[in-house]
Amino acid sequence: MITPILLAALALVLAGPAPALMARAAWPYRIPRAAVALWQAIALAAVLAAFGAGISLSYSTAGQPGEPRFDPSSARDLAAAAVLALTALVGVRLLWAAGRVAVGTRARRKRHRDLVDVLATPDGLIPGLRVLAEETPLAYCLPALRGSRVVVSVGALDRLDDGELRAVLAHEQAHLRARHDLVLEAFTALHKAFPRFVRSDVALDQARTLVELLADDDARRRNGPLPLARALVALAGSPAPEAGLAAAKSSTVLRVQRLADPEPNSTLLAAAAYTAAVLLLVVPTFTVAAPIVKAVVNAVS
Amino acid sequence: MTTDEKAPRRLGDLERLVMEQLWAADGALTVREVHARLSGTRELAYTTVMTVLDRLAKKQLTERERDGKAWRYKAAAPREELAADLMRDALDRSGDRREALVRFVGQVSDEEAALLRDALARLEEREG
Repeated sequence: MITPILLAALALVLAGPAPALMARAAWPYRIPRAAVALWQAIALAAVLAAFGAGISLSYSTAGQPGEPRFDPSSARDLAAAAVLALTALVGVRLLWAAGRVAVGTRARRKRHRDLVDVLATPDGLIPGLRVLAEETPLAYCLPALRGSRVVVSVGALDRLDDGELRAVLAHEQAHLRARHDLVLEAFTALHKAFPRFVRSDVALDQARTLVELLADDDARRRNGPLPLARALVALAGSPAPEAGLAAAKSSTVLRVQRLADPEPNSTLLAAAAYTAAVLLLVVPTFTVAAPIVKAVVNAVS
Repeated sequence: MTTDEKAPRRLGDLERLVMEQLWAADGALTVREVHARLSGTRELAYTTVMTVLDRLAKKQLTERERDGKAWRYKAAAPREELAADLMRDALDRSGDRREALVRFVGQVSDEEAALLRDALARLEEREG
């Protein structure tokens, strides 16, 4: 009976307080790559722990490990079945959300790419770059396995010098190369599946910020911090029609401040984050798997 | 390179040029008419134009109607309308469209813009 309680407690901690705490901390921004891994581990471990809790609760209620039984006249067994069904439902919901996000995002992206291809002019010098005849300053990328695009508006080109444009392109190419969109897609699916009770909004938000930092780091390594910071300020600082809608604090300030006042890389911190990520995944998995493996071994011998 | 440019590049380019002809035309055009209009600037096979128009129809960027033995194509929407669609996608900061593309940077409030300028000034001083 202790396993389901421990796993449920772990799932609850990983779903609520842990994301809230980590989102408030500043240290993840010093180690964006390790921080992304840690967020992924937290999310995955929370899901695994929740499943583990449901499965082990239903098994420990109905019968002994190794000899599950089901007696419809027993209230205990019915409750166990209900817990198992609920666990399965959570799983189905998660898969459903993941499928919908994957299909929906790709469809929207494809439509957008079709529009870009007929509306924007390819730049002769930089392959994959499309220039959009719009005054609103805009730069973004359309990720894809094949045929990704980087789109820049004329309004953005007007505001950037060559070095700054190179920084923008390096940033976008980093997103495309590392497929940051897939990282975000997973967190989006999680958020769509459990929008309320789990702090999945925090996780998604942090993942968005962290992949920007990763792409920034790549651009900074190539061209130095100054052109990138100038490009960020030039494109963010210009008034745009939707400026009034900025409700949430944007990550832009954080990004420029990070370029202006860089903190030293911390190998130790990154190592600690990676270790925590591995432990988060290994410990609950073993807790769930160990009794099952033991039962199987007992049954065979 | 992550960008895939070899084969689709030519067809993608042609899609844009063909759409520009359709947008500029008064009514629906046959493949032959589109081909004639494009041939002024470049050497193009008739079948290539046919393929491109077919692709555009599949993408729902053109609509076609029967005219005797031939198909007549017209743009599914005016250029301005598609451009507005595209910008709505690109500027969306909430909702589903946001996931489709990854923006370099969003717009900031006046307060944040001041913080940005401060940080940039510090960096300029150090680097400059």
